[in-house]
Amino acid sequence: MNNIFFIILALIIIIYIFYSIRKNKLDVANSFIWILFCIIFLILSIWPTCLDWFATLLGITYPPALFLTIAIIILFIMIFVQSKKIEDLHQKVIDLSQELSILKNKSAKKSHKESNSEKKQ
Amino acid sequence: MNRQKVLIIIPAYNEANNIGAVLADIKKHAPDFDVVVIDDHSTDTTKEIVQASGINCITNIFNLRYAWAIQTGLKYAKSQNYNYAILMDADGQHLASEAKKLYQTALKTKSNIVIGSRYLKNLGYHCPFFRKIGTKFFANLVRLFTKQKITDPLSGFQCIDQKTIDYYSSCGNYPEYPDANLIIEMLLQGYTITETPVKMKLRESGASMHSGLWKPIKYMVTQFFICIVIFVKYVGKRKAKHE
Repeated sequence: MNNIFFIILALIIIIYIFYSIRKNKLDVANSFIWILFCIIFLILSIWPTCLDWFATLLGITYPPALFLTIAIIILFIMIFVQSKKIEDLHQKVIDLSQELSILKNKSAKKSHKESNSEKKQ
Repeated sequence: MNRQKVLIIIPAYNEANNIGAVLADIKKHAPDFDVVVIDDHSTDTTKEIVQASGINCITNIFNLRYAWAIQTGLKYAKSQNYNYAILMDADGQHLASEAKKLYQTALKTKSNIVIGSRYLKNLGYHCPFFRKIGTKFFANLVRLFTKQKITDPLSGFQCIDQKTIDYYSSCGNYPEYPDANLIIEMLLQGYTITETPVKMKLRESGASMHSGLWKPIKYMVTQFFICIVIFVKYVGKRKAKHE
């Protein structure tokens, strides 16, 4: 009976992800890993003994430790990918802003010259 | 002979008290150099002062901080095909007469980067104690990694040639603190660096970007780490070049 709560939670998250994709708030490629997460979550809440089965297969005496270890590894990889992406975007923002300020300067100089020549005429 | 185009790049952030004197100094002592001031989105009247004196002023659309403000200037230099760029600070530490000396050294030695050193010859510069320690430490680090003696790796007073301008101005090539780490990287890439003794003044007003207690410590630790990583990055590549 305990599991019903987690099953409902997993279903709500899956529905929310699909809702986000439909509203174009989430990229389809990015959503893959989240949907995978939710499906694993759903399987574990419907059939919790499968975790025990995997743990004995790997020789781990305390099954929840297996769950936590895998979760931490996946989260670590995801954070690393995100941080690389942020660094890339940061560099691009700097590049764009520099380019923009140079262009702004050039156009200001050009309009300044034009207004000067108009005055002379 | 084709006249060389030289651009002085001055990044300025809230330097309204100093920038006027710096620009007057350049007009007096180095009138044949072009000047561009990179106003790093200052909140005071820096931009107005620069524009009033008739000097080209590029305003960053948000605060990019020292290094990337310089990179804006370098990108401008690249777009206008300048042969040499001289990096100067807006706080009045660097003198225009010395900028000329840097440029002449660059022409004479044909090196890619010329650094104005405070310590090469004793020209009466008294710097704070901790800064001296930091400089010594990074100078030794540069010598350890590249076997070249650079006495003032923290000097922001440099004259760089076109090849280096091209390299610095491409995306992702300019670090947040362009000091010892950048010197090591350029030396390991085969660029030539020479030093020339220059006079410098202590800043007249306002706070340095390395002020306080926490910032210098953080700076030292991260820079030390970055220097080591850069050295490791070039270990294999350097061997390949020697073979």
